Amino acid sequence: MADSAPNMVALVEILAKAVVEAPDEVTVEPFEEDGQTVLELIVAESDLGRVIGRQGRTARSLRTIVHSASLRTRKRYQLEIVE
Amino acid sequence: MPIPDKIATAKKISELLNAILTAGDFRLRYKITVDPQVGTDREWERPEILVEISGADSPLVLENGGELLRAFEQIASEMLRLAPNEHEKISFDCQNFRSARLQELRLATDVAAERVRKTGIPYAFAPMSSRERRILHLAMRDLDDLRTESDGEAAQRHVVVYPKDYTGKPPAASISRRR
Repeated sequence: MADSAPNMVALVEILAKAVVEAPDEVTVEPFEEDGQTVLELIVAESDLGRVIGRQGRTARSLRTIVHSASLRTRKRYQLEIVE
Repeated sequence: MPIPDKIATAKKISELLNAILTAGDFRLRYKITVDPQVGTDREWERPEILVEISGADSPLVLENGGELLRAFEQIASEMLRLAPNEHEKISFDCQNFRSARLQELRLATDVAAERVRKTGIPYAFAPMSSRERRILHLAMRDLDDLRTESDGEAAQRHVVVYPKDYTGKPPAASISRRR
């Protein structure tokens, strides 16, 4: 199989841009902390509710997808939604 | 109200999934069907758009009660701006996981009805998603001697089956992992 790897930053951007009203204001900033990569997701203030969702359902879905994709990498990722 | 332009909607879902599967390097394929023919066992779930996922990563999609499958579906529903009561218009499946679960729920309603009739005591199902609770309510609505209600809040919300004329307190939910 060809060498390929998940692009975690692009993945979070795709997911967040799909659900928000202002995709141009979506940014994902990765940084290393305690041996894991934190993916900081920043969206327009008015879109915070959209990325969190009813009963936190959308945020949970984002984390599930990020976690599943990260299993193929040797790194640990954590998604943080910046409020 | 049905989805206005199903072809355009299917295309949007396809673009989203394609981007997710590429960026996430998931070993998955998908097939989208507009107005799918579903078996009679799915009479309570009539999706207008069916997304069937397959491929080497299918076990990953079905882990934890289909958590990743539901996550894909949730993001697609949010992208399409479907209201919570419209989420059932699109359905994501993988290796017939959804149909198997539906079958399981149908059998569970038979068992619950039988038990309540025999004992006269209400029966509480395990906590479930609103989609699954709706399936239970619909599956049992034609039983003249029984009635169903939901009890509990948020993640603990569950369906209770009562004898029609029951007036006592509701029982606690069955203990089981929420799906």
